[in-house]
Amino acid sequence: MKRKSADQLAVPMSSMIDIVFLLLIYFIVTAREEISEAHLAVNLPSPGAAKTDEVKPKMLEMQVHANKLYLQGAEKPVEEIASTLKYLGSLDPDQTVIIQVSMSARATDLVTALDLCRAAGLDKLNVMTLK
Amino acid sequence: MKKRGDDTLETPITSMIDIVFLLIIFFVVTASVDKDVVDESIILAQAKNAPAVEQSDPRTVTVNLRKDGEINIALQPLSLSQLKQLLISMRAQAGNSVPVLIRCDGDTQFRHIDRVMQVAASTGLYRVRLAAEATGM
Repeated sequence: MKRKSADQLAVPMSSMIDIVFLLLIYFIVTAREEISEAHLAVNLPSPGAAKTDEVKPKMLEMQVHANKLYLQGAEKPVEEIASTLKYLGSLDPDQTVIIQVSMSARATDLVTALDLCRAAGLDKLNVMTLK
Repeated sequence: MKKRGDDTLETPITSMIDIVFLLIIFFVVTASVDKDVVDESIILAQAKNAPAVEQSDPRTVTVNLRKDGEINIALQPLSLSQLKQLLISMRAQAGNSVPVLIRCDGDTQFRHIDRVMQVAASTGLYRVRLAAEATGM
């Protein structure tokens, strides 16, 4: 009696393991590695505010075009902008950065600009549309 | 001799099944978490310096923005006016500090992002964030 029940237990075991392994492989294959997200905060100009063209001297001005970054009106390579922003950020981390983005710029370009400002410790980032 | 071989084979099987079931349960649980919010077709832009977020505000409205400018929330496609309606009702429910997270593809043109930002700004939601993939650190 004891032997018989041990046999009955052993028979479905191997097929069950097959199923279980199949399930396991299915979930391993379909599981995607989670990418860790960074959330970059931006300030938007309020819609009702009067558009002032004058830029206060304390503000940094950045322009984002497709694959091009301008800092204070001059196009510069990313590394140079990064080091300049680091220097300016160490002088006064509270200063506002105005990021003017061209309509044809891609999200990658904007994220690069925001990321560089974050790296420099500047977190007052105003995003505006370039006319 | 044969009997002994059976015994040694049978002993690890039950514990192995335990482990395998645990693994399966792990994958089932992790696979179903926030699957509905993430649009898998979006490849985020990469940010080297920004820190990865550990936990975000649970009220966050996540707006997915595809490469071609198509907007969806939790995979449900929305037009700009529908998005505006939704943000207005979110604001009425939870105040104007509700964060709006724009998950846009790295290749999305700014004209599409700008439209979403304008809608958020016009409804009075000022906490707008752009999602990026944290590659640094």
